[in-house]
Amino acid sequence: MFAYIMRRLAVAVPTLLLLIVISFVLMHLAPGGPFSQERELPARVLANLNAKYGLDEPLWRQIVNYVYSIVIHFDFGPSFVYPDRTVNELLADGFPVTLTYGSLAFLAAVLVGVGLGVVAAIRHNSWLDYLAVGISIGAQVLPNFVMAPILVLFFTLTWRILPGGGWSFSDPSFWIMPVIALATSYMASIARITRSSMLEVLGSNHIRTARAKGMPEHRVILRHALKPAMLPVISYLGPVFVSMITGSVVIDIYFSTGGIGKAFVESALNRDYAVMMGVTILIGALTILFNLVVDILYAWIDPKIRY
Amino acid sequence: MTKLFTTTALVAAMALPAHAAQPAEGEKLAEDQSLSFWILDAIKSADPQLTSSRTDSDMIRQLFEGLMNEDETGAMIPGVAESHEVSEDGLTYTFHLRDAKWSNGDPVTAGDFVYAWQRAVNPETASEYAWFMELMNIVNATEIVKGEKAPEELGVKAVDDRTLEVTLTKPTPYFLKTLSHSTTFPTPQKVIEEHGDSWTQAGKMVGNGAYVLKSHDLGVEAVLVKNDEYWDAENTIIDEVKFVTVNDQNIGLTRTLAGEIDWMNQLPAGQFPRLKEEHGDAVVAPPWACSYAYIFNLSDKGPEALKDLRVRQALSYAIDRDIIVDKILQGGQEPAYFWTHWAIEGFESPEIEMAGWTQQERLEKAKALLAEAGYGPDNPLQLTIQYNTSEDHKKLAIAVQQFWKAIGVNVTLNNYEWKVHIDRLNNQDFEVARYAWCGDYNEATTFLDYFRTEGYNQGKWSNAEFDKLLADSATSENPAELYKQAEQILIGDMALAPVYHYSQPQYIEPSLRGAPLENVMMSWYAKDMYRVAE
Repeated sequence: MFAYIMRRLAVAVPTLLLLIVISFVLMHLAPGGPFSQERELPARVLANLNAKYGLDEPLWRQIVNYVYSIVIHFDFGPSFVYPDRTVNELLADGFPVTLTYGSLAFLAAVLVGVGLGVVAAIRHNSWLDYLAVGISIGAQVLPNFVMAPILVLFFTLTWRILPGGGWSFSDPSFWIMPVIALATSYMASIARITRSSMLEVLGSNHIRTARAKGMPEHRVILRHALKPAMLPVISYLGPVFVSMITGSVVIDIYFSTGGIGKAFVESALNRDYAVMMGVTILIGALTILFNLVVDILYAWIDPKIRY
Repeated sequence: MTKLFTTTALVAAMALPAHAAQPAEGEKLAEDQSLSFWILDAIKSADPQLTSSRTDSDMIRQLFEGLMNEDETGAMIPGVAESHEVSEDGLTYTFHLRDAKWSNGDPVTAGDFVYAWQRAVNPETASEYAWFMELMNIVNATEIVKGEKAPEELGVKAVDDRTLEVTLTKPTPYFLKTLSHSTTFPTPQKVIEEHGDSWTQAGKMVGNGAYVLKSHDLGVEAVLVKNDEYWDAENTIIDEVKFVTVNDQNIGLTRTLAGEIDWMNQLPAGQFPRLKEEHGDAVVAPPWACSYAYIFNLSDKGPEALKDLRVRQALSYAIDRDIIVDKILQGGQEPAYFWTHWAIEGFESPEIEMAGWTQQERLEKAKALLAEAGYGPDNPLQLTIQYNTSEDHKKLAIAVQQFWKAIGVNVTLNNYEWKVHIDRLNNQDFEVARYAWCGDYNEATTFLDYFRTEGYNQGKWSNAEFDKLLADSATSENPAELYKQAEQILIGDMALAPVYHYSQPQYIEPSLRGAPLENVMMSWYAKDMYRVAE
């Protein structure tokens, strides 16, 4: 197992490098640049700016310099659009925010989603099942950009109990709406996957055997059904977790959280090359890491899987 | 507490010159003197010489103070400079600075201005607004930006700590009006050298404005508190200013109506009439020095058809500006028949023929002109309109597409994200494009300069007579007359199809007073504002 993990991590390095090169080239292919603006900058001013940020060098050298400063100094460079801040500072400010509301939303989505799915499967075709399916379909058709305004309408405008936006690490009232808005539709998907997977497992031979030998039903469910039923859920959760903790542009814009979900989209539109690369690498690294975590969990849950 | 404030305010009103908050007699000040201001985008830079954004400037204006300030009508009033003299030939300005301090207690000296201005043009700073110093016509600015001369050779020097002398390459009537622009604000050399690029972060920043930066959570909010070292601190009433980022106008409006934001100075298009009805005087739409137009590509890369004046006239006549202003925008905007914003100081609106016609007359003339130019049902004119992604630009482009269809012109709409839009504009890769310009200072040349042959002028229109009028205006006794003539040439040759002059539909919390609604530049100073008790 240890050797397997080492091998996977070793493969991660060229993967990330490839990601950097491809993103870098694509980014520079897009028309316009970080300093193109409505009133065209005089050529000499633009030349000064390009020189300051090293954009006057050939592309391959820019990539080499970029990777070099990350590897040697862990320095992701200065932001082109926010000259007062470095990319490291921007990520250090924004990532904890999305990490906070993202992991809370993840937790909420998993607990509620798996709960609903399991209840629906156990009480298959009962009113409980219909209720759970109803809730999850309802939640599915409420994506975050619909949830967010609905929440604000009630909590902020009507009842005036939660702030309509902003962020504070010391005041959880700022977290509630982002968490609910982000969790809802994921929760629905998790519930659906759990339900169908659970139904399948409940019909399999080993469950029949367990029941036949007189095992109490709660033990059958918790010990023998839930674990294998979780396999498809977990493979869904890996990428979902990464996408949740790296934030959502809708949540970031709607609630002005200052998270990196918005920074990502905005940096692409602003051609803020350094910020865009920084967020891309962060998301890439997390994706690789959590895919590995999912694979390890697989082996732990399913004795048939061996690496 | 309230009583104390009332007394202070009274003293302020009696003792003070025109700038600073001045509650009217009998107005009772509120206990809470905080102001929260909506901004659409996060603050990009709080460095006066590095910023290129209007939003940033709104914050920087509270943190730093230049030689001059603007009052609530937009007139220039003394800032750090108490007085100034201009030499006979109009080339040398001497400023006498007041006894002002930085927020760390150091005196503000003429040397601080020299440092800041040299910093703005220094190629190493790579300021996006370096051109502003060139626009001010300061001696050697252009050469320094190009790297041909050292920054020390800039035409600005400290005669002594309290006397600043600026030399210009040519008389510049608008020179004083550039002095409230953030690029010209002083910056503290010691602090910048100590902290480098991060000197503008809360805790490190030192400024000479009425407020200091307390905290700045990027993309969420920046909090400014009163600067006790400011020379007029005793007359500053607002004690906390918050800049709240909300990246969407409609969400910003929701939070404003929920009471989280006091002042939102850009209401979403089309919402103004409803809000005005619901909130009365809290919702206003004063003029704002920006103009919206469709520009024609007259360069070699542009379509042949547009090189024909008759076609350009037909296209411009066919746009029903009243529909755009009254039915689509609905926020106090004015239909535009010329380029310079009508409310710019010292600018007299020119007589433009088409302004006097009815839309029916314009349509008939447009059809006739197109037919004359050889376009008709058998040979319809095909054009593309390019605009950048935005609901409002889209609505207007669709409307114009319909207006032009009515005279037999088929229009394809091309929508690009902002950076691509401007890249194509700058490379003359367009036929007709949406364009808008906001004045950098309150004088007509800030608009007219665009269409000089050497100006930004992305449509590459060029007219020697127009260029000469602008050049002559610098030394003219009566520049307003020349501007009027220049506008007539511009519209006579239909270099563009002006569409509307901006207003700034906004919501101001009713207890907030002193917003500079008569200043078309919309430059505001929290130190001149205050809140009254309900």
